[in-house]
Amino acid sequence: MAGEDDETYVAEGFAVPEELDTVHALLAQAAADHPDVDPTDVMLFETAVIEIANNVVEYGKPEGEVRWRLELSIDDERIAAELYDTGQEFTPGMGAAMPGEDAESGRGLPLAEAVLDKIELERVDDTNHWRMVRRRGHVPQA
Amino acid sequence: MFYEEKDAGGYVALVPEGKFNLVSAPPLKARIDDLVREGKARIVVDLSAVDFIDSSGLGALIGGLKAARQQGGDLRIAAAGDQVKAVLKLTNLDRILSPYATVEEARHGW
Repeated sequence: MAGEDDETYVAEGFAVPEELDTVHALLAQAAADHPDVDPTDVMLFETAVIEIANNVVEYGKPEGEVRWRLELSIDDERIAAELYDTGQEFTPGMGAAMPGEDAESGRGLPLAEAVLDKIELERVDDTNHWRMVRRRGHVPQA
Repeated sequence: MFYEEKDAGGYVALVPEGKFNLVSAPPLKARIDDLVREGKARIVVDLSAVDFIDSSGLGALIGGLKAARQQGGDLRIAAAGDQVKAVLKLTNLDRILSPYATVEEARHGW
């Protein structure tokens, strides 16, 4: 079991809209290999990872040329993702309130933050490194 | 993403499939805007075949809701799955976009 739990799932490519399906597929594969993980945990974690991936796709420059690498891992305690992208340096507005009901945008990051126990962004050399963790069995804030 | 469109007379049902995300949300929102412009401002978005929504999809629904209401209509959602319901709740949008169980319930009064 320890060997399985140590497995890291990796996807690499360009941060373009068509590649978002690869992110979904990697999460589906990791979940299928860990049937003991609560589907709600997977669903909420997937929601967060996709919002962050969307952010890279939408705002990463130069558009269409940004590359990324996604690493997923699941252990007894948590689901974790590391997302590295080669886009420009980015300063996210962490901790922002959920936009009001009328807003048509601005929910991505607050939504990701609501379902994750940890979200960090670090600039290392020419790479953005997002770290996302959700504790298994965590009850999200309503 | 593909979506079906059914004009039932009193309302129009849009039936998106798959991921309702930053790829598929803009065309669906554009179609809603067209419908509203044509005077068809009573819209039901049937989400029974959507397995995932992101914040772009939410934005399209809110934009469509606002456009429909400005023309005296409304946009209602039906048959949302677990992920859609969870995301609506987390973003507090379930207050203005409450999911109806079925299209039949959503179209009530139309």
